[in-house]
Amino acid sequence: MPDQSTNINISAAKMFIFFSQLMDKPVLDKDGQGVGEIYDLVVKSSQVYPLSDALIIRKGFPNRKYAIVSWANIEKIDRKGTQLKIDKSSLNFNQSHHEKKEFTLRRDILDQQVVDTYNHKVIRVNDIQLLVVDHALMIAHVDIGSRGLLRRLGFENGIDLIIRLFNPQARYLKNAHLISWKHIQPLTINPVSMTIKIDLPQKNLANIPAADLGDIFLDLNIKHQIALFKSLNFFNKTKIFTNIDFKTQSSLLDEMNDSEISELFNNLPSDEATDFLEKLPQEKIKKTLNLIESKYSKRLSQLLGYSGDSAGGLMTTEYIALAKDTPVAAALNQIRERKFKSEPAQFIYIVDETHHLISTTNFRRLILANPEEPIQNSGFPKTYFVRLDSSIKEVAYLMEKYKYFAIPVVDKDNILQGIITVDDILSQLIAFAWRRLKRIKIMQKT
Amino acid sequence: MKNLKAFWAKILIFLSVMGPGIITADVDNDAGGITTYSVAGAHFGYALMWSFIPIIIALVIIQEMCSRMAVVTGKGLADLIREEFGVRVTFYAMTVLVLSNIFNTISEFAGVAASAELFGISKFLLVPACALFVWWLIVKGTYKSVEKVFLVACLFYVCYIISGFLSKPDWNLIAKSTLHPNFQFDKAYIFMLIGVVGTTIAPWMQFYQQSSVVEKGIKLENYKYSRLDVIIGAFVVNIIAIFIIIVCANTLFANGIRIETAKDAALALKPLAGQYCFYLFAFGLLNASVFSACILPLSTAYSVCEGMGWEIGVNRTFKEAPQFYSLYTTIIVIGAAVILIPGVKLVPIMLISQATNGILLPFVLIFMLLLVNNKRLMGKYTNSKFYNFCAILIITAMIALSLFLFFTVFIK
Repeated sequence: MPDQSTNINISAAKMFIFFSQLMDKPVLDKDGQGVGEIYDLVVKSSQVYPLSDALIIRKGFPNRKYAIVSWANIEKIDRKGTQLKIDKSSLNFNQSHHEKKEFTLRRDILDQQVVDTYNHKVIRVNDIQLLVVDHALMIAHVDIGSRGLLRRLGFENGIDLIIRLFNPQARYLKNAHLISWKHIQPLTINPVSMTIKIDLPQKNLANIPAADLGDIFLDLNIKHQIALFKSLNFFNKTKIFTNIDFKTQSSLLDEMNDSEISELFNNLPSDEATDFLEKLPQEKIKKTLNLIESKYSKRLSQLLGYSGDSAGGLMTTEYIALAKDTPVAAALNQIRERKFKSEPAQFIYIVDETHHLISTTNFRRLILANPEEPIQNSGFPKTYFVRLDSSIKEVAYLMEKYKYFAIPVVDKDNILQGIITVDDILSQLIAFAWRRLKRIKIMQKT
Repeated sequence: MKNLKAFWAKILIFLSVMGPGIITADVDNDAGGITTYSVAGAHFGYALMWSFIPIIIALVIIQEMCSRMAVVTGKGLADLIREEFGVRVTFYAMTVLVLSNIFNTISEFAGVAASAELFGISKFLLVPACALFVWWLIVKGTYKSVEKVFLVACLFYVCYIISGFLSKPDWNLIAKSTLHPNFQFDKAYIFMLIGVVGTTIAPWMQFYQQSSVVEKGIKLENYKYSRLDVIIGAFVVNIIAIFIIIVCANTLFANGIRIETAKDAALALKPLAGQYCFYLFAFGLLNASVFSACILPLSTAYSVCEGMGWEIGVNRTFKEAPQFYSLYTTIIVIGAAVILIPGVKLVPIMLISQATNGILLPFVLIFMLLLVNNKRLMGKYTNSKFYNFCAILIITAMIALSLFLFFTVFIK
């Protein structure tokens, strides 16, 4: 993964200002009298790049007091200091400083963990780079580099000087480790709704490959996990849920209310759902199944009845099955119109009125077939299948032999029950191979 | 029948939660700790025994707050300090922590070297071997496997309990001197007392405990088990310390033998308490030193990476978490290398480690108190009024002691 931090030549960018360069700087009122120092910046979070909305001023030590000034009352703000348009006396200083619901830089971003949706990592913010737009400030980048750290510590100029002495061309001096705000997903939790305060267009998260998203998720602490999960749409929820370990899954389940659980499970592919459910204690399975749409929960409880390493336990019930006398053109239309959960639809299974498996076909065969003919004629000459109680070895053997990506599962009356896809088999075989490998290693040692 | 089943279920939950508290407390009985307790037993007999009761209470109260913060916030102590007090404070705290733990690690390897000599093995063989083992364990292991090794190491502390019994002590006298404080207004006695307290509560412990509870992912509903883990840890560590004192008091003090180190203690035990007692004592020292030489660098790397926002590793590779592994490796290499320098003086190293601990501890304890009482972080799990009263009392006492210790380093 290339590290795509934006490289900005800092010295040329006078328009930019770091939040650390504003923090704790003095604030003057309209007559040039000191009123306190900058403590925090409230931003409006409605846009992709949030704009400054108000300033929080702090005064006094150790008895600190805070006042909030809306942005319209600020005359100028820069590295040297800040001047207000209003008089000292019109400021209203208070003991507490933050409104719970607003979003501020110092409390919610600086030094906090955020998700970098571009590099797929959880990072800690060392500094925030703001862009000066007209009169306001806009969050442009977050700094996660060592330079940001040094700036906060007040060593930046000193270290710069030393490095410049030895190597004026050093990469360190030219580049900053900045990440554009549009890739940043903050994790501050709204104390009322217990969800994430700002949520960027969810497509940022949706673009992350599922396995990476799972890894990012596991890097968060449980509170953030729950809050982030609750803020996601069902598509991202499903994606995350299928890519985390059982322990995290079950602690998420504990935190969800009934409607959230039912939403999640109604969208989860059946093999993933059973994978998770079969590890739960009996009474929790029952409780969860009760929350799921009745048709689907029936299917799930049926799947749960099969042993985990038999074909019945491995299969998913999402597949495309069409009546044998459907014309090819109509069949293609039906496929187009139907929405399938997440299993790859490689094959189409041809069944009779009572759902007996007649034949198997694939898209290539369907497209090449005469659109008028019934699909039955486009099927493979021979149909391979496994039984509900076939072992994983038999399944793997057949799939390897005929190079299938998926194989249908039928019951003893040849009624189609589900399919097993290659990825389900692979994960089982890999676990199996690992155990073998370990045993071989131990044997070699002794 | 049903009760029995519920009981076993509870035991199972406890076993899955157990670890951080017991491990942290046991590492406390490291090479430095064993030396301190040996000297205390040899020079003052049972006169310091009473101090273990307040020490257990202090240890439980301080470590319980860490454990609670870990379970409630899901964040390490360094994480919280960074998020609530900013980067500057974190940076300086971490700098002192690294310094202090480097010196602590050196003294752990000194313990390895001492036990090498007791077993008649060259320290040039045993010290690098132990360093390599410790390094390999973390770099190649996962958190789960590492924790199991640590728990086994905790079991080996039984050595001291057995050697305590082998020395055939007078239990009545022990019980009496534990329950009746016998305070002496004597400079040597007070120094020894501060030494015993100081070695039992060190700043790295709070960081390590909190991080490892977070790493275990203990749920709030199981928190009471985590608290039990802390309490058991505090008792176990102090019982072992008590047995070390018993061995030394019963043999060395009774015969008026003065010692300087744990090695002296083991050697002096040989003619007085027999071969087995000697080997158990020496093996206990080796186990404690290796164990702590593993945890101290680990805990340092953990806290620093947490605070600075770098990737943290036990379950990651060198490439994924370079800062973590470099820091871990560097501390071990320095720790082991310094001990192998011919003619190196250990006393100044111990003193510097004491002084750095003394500077850091007050800050860490104050930060903890502020964090644990922060409603935004802890919700309804902040300290109660009574708990706060006890905590403040203990923390004030600890700060006074560590400041005293810090200044005596320069006065002496």
